[in-house]
Amino acid sequence: MTVFATITSITIRALLGRRRTLLMALLAAMPIFLGLIVRANDDALDLRILGQTLDGLVIRTVLPLVAIVFGTAALGSELEDGTAVFLLTTPVDRWQIIVAKTLVAGTLTAVLVVPGAVIGGIIMGGTSSEAIAVTFAFALASIVGAYLYTAIFLVLSVFTSRGLIIGLVYALIWEGIVAGLLPGSQVVSVREYLTGIVQTLAPEAGRTSLVGASGFLYAAVAFVLTLALGSVRLARYEVRGAE
Amino acid sequence: MTVPTFAPLPSADAPAGAPTAPIVLDNVSRFYGPVVAVNKITFALGPGITGLLGPNGAGKTTILHMLSGLLQPSNGRVLVGGLAAWRNPAVYRSVGLVPEREAVQAFLTGREFVEMAARLHELPDPRAAADQAIRTVDLQSAADRAVGGYSKGMRQRAKIAAALVHEPSILLLDEPFNGMDPRQRLHMMDLLRTMAAAGRTILFSSHILEEVERIADGVLVIVAGRLAAAGDFREIRRLMTDRPHTFVVRSSDDRRLAAAFMSQPAVFATELRDGRLTVRVQEFAGFTGTVAGVARDANVSLFEVAPTDDSLESVFAYLVSGVNR
Repeated sequence: MTVFATITSITIRALLGRRRTLLMALLAAMPIFLGLIVRANDDALDLRILGQTLDGLVIRTVLPLVAIVFGTAALGSELEDGTAVFLLTTPVDRWQIIVAKTLVAGTLTAVLVVPGAVIGGIIMGGTSSEAIAVTFAFALASIVGAYLYTAIFLVLSVFTSRGLIIGLVYALIWEGIVAGLLPGSQVVSVREYLTGIVQTLAPEAGRTSLVGASGFLYAAVAFVLTLALGSVRLARYEVRGAE
Repeated sequence: MTVPTFAPLPSADAPAGAPTAPIVLDNVSRFYGPVVAVNKITFALGPGITGLLGPNGAGKTTILHMLSGLLQPSNGRVLVGGLAAWRNPAVYRSVGLVPEREAVQAFLTGREFVEMAARLHELPDPRAAADQAIRTVDLQSAADRAVGGYSKGMRQRAKIAAALVHEPSILLLDEPFNGMDPRQRLHMMDLLRTMAAAGRTILFSSHILEEVERIADGVLVIVAGRLAAAGDFREIRRLMTDRPHTFVVRSSDDRRLAAAFMSQPAVFATELRDGRLTVRVQEFAGFTGTVAGVARDANVSLFEVAPTDDSLESVFAYLVSGVNR
């Protein structure tokens, strides 16, 4: 087993605590529950309404929340409780720790969020080819968002022990309010990148973003920069709670 | 037992590749904002066991964290195995750290935990290395149980096994005997002695005099972030015991006993106040060795002889005043 695989397997086991996984699975299943309620009384949603619903529910709510929980737990919890010392006092390159843990947290986030988004989207929008295209555009955006959000929240937890709170402030206040009021700030909003991806893949969903098709590029650049920043920071990490 | 050398410091203009002591702190300070945790400490250690002794909060953990690259020194140089400890993961090939905090992933078994360390060190046969380390700390019987169910002492041994798994030449242990029962403590002392005999450099912190006395020949006394004393333990111990002491004595006739004490060379003052006899003596052994005989000769029954200032803090305070004199 390589160093990378060792870090990966330990992180998976640490993150898959029974209660946390159950809570996140319930949260991720929200689109399915909502879809069942919607379709109990109505026909399949109009594509634009489907787009609005998946945007509000998956991209704005479920995805960032699940990513905050896994992103801050993957490394931040270990730094807080001291278990990370056993990892940090080995000759492992710091970038390997950041990348391995981000990939685990991002994959777990995607594995939980994407099925809920796809099943919920199909229940709400039906199986017309246009509705499927909208649903899968959101699914792909969720995968991209899962890795980017978890990278950001994981690196945040290396900088501060209040990663969870600051992550929530970023997701709810910055992305929810500031990015809506100040259009220029949208270039530093993950949600805008994801909306740009949906806009490019399924224009019929009616979602528009300032970044448009560049959402892919912005997301990729932000992901790499975040991991690089996290690696540099972890190399200079000072243990908390000393005398 | 190998006697630790208080090795000379490497000079700043030493030629590249010149051998340096395994552990070097050169004029090292560490601040937390306005608080000085470690204040201009300089020492160099060679192979053997050295105790880092001091009261809680003295700066021992800060020193061990700087040596293990987990804290950046604010000033000065910290070298481990000749390499700068800060921002240098390569030092961990020759260093093992046993932190004081008990945090170990509770879901892992002891064996998985030690094997994880072996894999992170990229050892050629991690399973065999883990087995060897587990045998070394005598944890075989519990190795396949989850660490979450371990006692404090077992968890401590698991941490030591993980720190030993790559056979480091330098071992740093933060309060390693905390939580161990007497049998485990003896076993751990034997283990550290064996490792020191094999040429390793071992530095462990403790706030308990007797632990350091039993196992370390070299000692560094840290008080309030400063190096109060350094050297051979016997010399430090002499300083600790040969200082003036104060005893409270209860007897069948305090007044007669006070008069008898005044003829003793070790005693320089007695005081009888509020029904309590207080005796001030020049040195510990000179008084405690004769007190029973003096009472018997004076035909007085002794009920209690209690030192009043034998707390670790007062010992350290005395050492610091000695250093500053």
